[in-house]
Amino acid sequence: MATAVNSTGVLPDTTPALEPILHYVSASLSYVYHSFLSIPGSSIVIRYVRSSYQNDPFRTVLEVILLLFALRTIFQSRTRADRSTKNYVQLSESEIDELVDDWIPEPLVTPLTPAEQAQLNALPIISGAAGPKPKLASTGKTVLNLASYNFAGLANNEHIKEQAVGALRKYGVGSCGPPGFYGTIDVHMQLEQDLANFLGTESAIIYSQAFSTASSVIPAFCKRGDIIVADRGVSFAIQKGIQISRSIVRWYDHNDLDSLEEVLIGVEKEMKKKRAPLTRRFIVTEGIFENDGQMVDLPKLIELKEKFKYRLLLDESISFGSVGRTGRGLTELYNVPATHIDMLLGSMATGLNAAGGFCAGSRVVTEHQRINGTSFVYSASMPALLAVGASEAIGVLRDNPGCLRELVENVRVVRGVLDRLECIEVPSHPASPLIHIYVRSGPSQGSTLEVPTLAARKGGKSKTTSLEPAEPVTFDIETEERLLQDVVDEALAQGVLISRVKRLRGQEASEPRPSIKLAVSAGLTRKEVEKAAGIIRAALLKVLGRRR
Amino acid sequence: RYTSSYRDGTSLFPQHQDPPMTILLATYISYLFLIAIGHMRDFFGKRFWPGYYKHLMSAAGYAALNSDFDSFYTRRLKLRIEDCFARPVTGVPGRTILMYNRVSPDFNVSFKLTGQLTRALNVSSYNYLGFAQATGGVADAAEESIRRYGLSALGPRLEAGTQDLHTAAEALVARFLGVEDAAVISMGFATNSTTLPALVSRGCLVLSDEYNHASIRTGVRLSGASVRLFKHNDMASLEQILRESISQGQPRTHRPWKKILVVVEGLYSMEGTFVDLPALMTLKKRYKFYLYVDEAHSIGAIGPHGRGVCDYFGIDPTEVDILMGTFTKSFGAAGGYIAGKKVLIDKLRTINHAFAYAEAVSPPVLTQLTAAMASIMGVAPPLLTPVGAINTQSTALIPYSHPGPAPAAILPSWMHLPPALLSGVEGNTRLRRLAFNSRYLSQGLRKLGFIIYGHRDSPIVPLLIYNPGKMPVFSRLMLAANTYPGAVPFVVVIVAYPATPLITSRVRFCMSASHTKADVDRLLRACDRVGDLLDLKHGCPKHERWTVDEVIDRAVELVHMD
Repeated sequence: MATAVNSTGVLPDTTPALEPILHYVSASLSYVYHSFLSIPGSSIVIRYVRSSYQNDPFRTVLEVILLLFALRTIFQSRTRADRSTKNYVQLSESEIDELVDDWIPEPLVTPLTPAEQAQLNALPIISGAAGPKPKLASTGKTVLNLASYNFAGLANNEHIKEQAVGALRKYGVGSCGPPGFYGTIDVHMQLEQDLANFLGTESAIIYSQAFSTASSVIPAFCKRGDIIVADRGVSFAIQKGIQISRSIVRWYDHNDLDSLEEVLIGVEKEMKKKRAPLTRRFIVTEGIFENDGQMVDLPKLIELKEKFKYRLLLDESISFGSVGRTGRGLTELYNVPATHIDMLLGSMATGLNAAGGFCAGSRVVTEHQRINGTSFVYSASMPALLAVGASEAIGVLRDNPGCLRELVENVRVVRGVLDRLECIEVPSHPASPLIHIYVRSGPSQGSTLEVPTLAARKGGKSKTTSLEPAEPVTFDIETEERLLQDVVDEALAQGVLISRVKRLRGQEASEPRPSIKLAVSAGLTRKEVEKAAGIIRAALLKVLGRRR
Repeated sequence: RYTSSYRDGTSLFPQHQDPPMTILLATYISYLFLIAIGHMRDFFGKRFWPGYYKHLMSAAGYAALNSDFDSFYTRRLKLRIEDCFARPVTGVPGRTILMYNRVSPDFNVSFKLTGQLTRALNVSSYNYLGFAQATGGVADAAEESIRRYGLSALGPRLEAGTQDLHTAAEALVARFLGVEDAAVISMGFATNSTTLPALVSRGCLVLSDEYNHASIRTGVRLSGASVRLFKHNDMASLEQILRESISQGQPRTHRPWKKILVVVEGLYSMEGTFVDLPALMTLKKRYKFYLYVDEAHSIGAIGPHGRGVCDYFGIDPTEVDILMGTFTKSFGAAGGYIAGKKVLIDKLRTINHAFAYAEAVSPPVLTQLTAAMASIMGVAPPLLTPVGAINTQSTALIPYSHPGPAPAAILPSWMHLPPALLSGVEGNTRLRRLAFNSRYLSQGLRKLGFIIYGHRDSPIVPLLIYNPGKMPVFSRLMLAANTYPGAVPFVVVIVAYPATPLITSRVRFCMSASHTKADVDRLLRACDRVGDLLDLKHGCPKHERWTVDEVIDRAVELVHMD
């Protein structure tokens, strides 16, 4: 408005030829001016503008531009692409039509490859209850099961089943709502309390699927600009959590705490050099690695975390409910208080044979997730009967440590057989109930091939920003998968159900080596385990021995 | 008898009414006020009571666990009304629900249960068809399956976690939807977040409705595909973006997109709107994109046969590339499904994250969904009453005929459902009751003068509150039994930012087939009273309004009104 007032003031000095036009302009401007004056309160605005702007057109122009910019920002639609960039090609409507007609999308999915089809066809279907000795739908035969997660042998525990039926009769099946909206049932609170008491943490929070737990907990705490130092061999769920967090990631060699220390020192130096402000820093790793059954040295890990002031996120999906005297996991095995672990993740689907996952830690940690854990907030809470099943399973573990002693025995039996075989390689920790089997590379390469971590360490340092170790172990995925599948088929024919680990080739951060996964269970007697191990040994020898 | 189906010529998307300026202004001022007070409390609190702020401040070389800026909204706004969220409950989330009374000694930081329980009418759970039950044929089947199968499948599907129940459920879901194949996954959220990354990747474009669920956003983010949002349910906006994206190609390189996936929801859980599927199908033919419809809320809840939006609009479900839905809502179970062509589903079985790494669906949950789904479909044979006869009227109206009853051979041989469920009569009654209840509540509240969003046939009915201060009061008044004579307690869901835009705070009712007309009457009366108290009636002009008695008496007329 200030400009309008000024321009009317300079009018009379112009040439007569333009007079009618200028007259018109001046008239319309004065009309605008007067109509503006008729708005109540406008005189105050004008007085303010006059007194504050004095004779400073530059400032006026600047402020008008600022105002326009602000308006543009406000009205700019979020959904529109930036057309102002040089890259935008202006096209006419007919050209667009033509382009639309010409565009041929790729098919939604590529058809199954023969290998994938074979894999689907070979999938065992269990008829009736899954457990230590399930019946197969295809043959009707009962087999010994070393493929299902049933470490403590809790599957089909009659007491747990009875309690679950009781819960069904009280709560129905589904919870019909997310925890925030009347989906928090008393049994969920009870289960959280049970988990916290069992582990000795202040509090716990439950998620309705184990797989979605890690990928929800990690981004709840790790934000853009935070630092995650993670193991190269972490499970797929953790990889996805790290990916979605958008934090800065540094990788250390798989289960190699010396490498971790080097990385931590490196990060510290880097931050000092950059004079970066203090950010949240996390070490993310697993207790027993899902991908190969190795076990982390927890006391050393905690020592490092405290020395470098990192928070520790430990995924115990495999170790919870399977190691330690009563199944409390690595903290019990190493006798470390669980309170030293900032976020302790676990699975109730594997360890307790129910469903879902949990995160245990301090109250601040769990309460934060109740609003920021995406798959907690935006998902229905787990069915009450499964929560009761998990609570009861904790009770069984706590009161009958005997079942885990049997598990330890059975693991020893299986390892006793496998460790003597020349044709395979077992990367897993001797105490791990999850045992992975690799095909040992052919004898031409020398018979003593080392475990990947050792190989990586001997060479030069690996780049912390990349997932690739310095000296990656080479293996032929296709051949090894085929061989291992042959072993699986052979064992099944002899009455032992085992499974090749199914990978999402192409989607994994770094391709894990093909392996067979044995999940040893306390549900089988020592005799049965000996028999199963014998059959697996024979199958391995038959398939892999033939190769030479 | 009212069925949930699309009638030609009816306005699909009722105009959103805007509240008076005074309300908007008051809302903005309230938020400003709350934010100013919150910052003041933070400022002084950190200096005088550092103990409470430990997790927000750096200490001993550790950075703050949570950023005070990120958590500001939670601490300073949500905490004030925390008593309205996450109320612990017990028992079945059915027509009524038992709620634990609780008190907070420290201004909502923590709660203590008093040990007393309140039974309240439940208009909040996603129990559309009333299958959340602890008794009856479906629950009996679930009990039988616990005894036969235990609680867990003990592993991921691709390893040894596939049971005969899984294959049966998948066949039934495919049959229910009328498509070739389906796959079930143990969590609804994960169904989206693990399938989308398997479908699209870098070089692909995802066009996503701006109000799509968090699980879709998570999935798209994991996939690495480019994503653009279009205005909620605005097909013109979508078409414009489609034209632009196809003609411009990928940013910088201008290479054509590998594929374009349009992701929409069948029924939006916060808005109560149905996707404009007919318009979308027209666009699909022209622009050759792939269509992903998330029917988390709509499956089982709408359509004359409960088959979701395709059924509602009479569109052949095989024309939609990917149908996704959950079992948590209408079926009273848990988990989700992905359905479509066999080639697609088989491929997804091998590349979907959940199939390789996540636990398989638990047997009792599978049984619940199988039995509930079979009850909606009816089982043939044996046929007690010809199911076709019930549906002739509605099927005559639409060109697409629904897939029909479930073949008995698909169901597990040990599952014995009572005759009312087997014949599909019960399922049909429930569908109609839900359709009536939804329409009645939505129309009734409109007639009372409230601002109601969404489609009139939607079982989700959002009532606009706007002012943040009114939200908790609404929730507490509805729960209190002494607001007016004859009041009964209701549990309601209030939602505000960030689930909705800042100013449009709302209360969301979820109708169920387990509600009787008397229940809806009570709800209308309660809303009427509370609405007067809180000055919430800013919808239709005063002279068009009805009194609450009028609404209740003329319910049938109201439901058939447009």
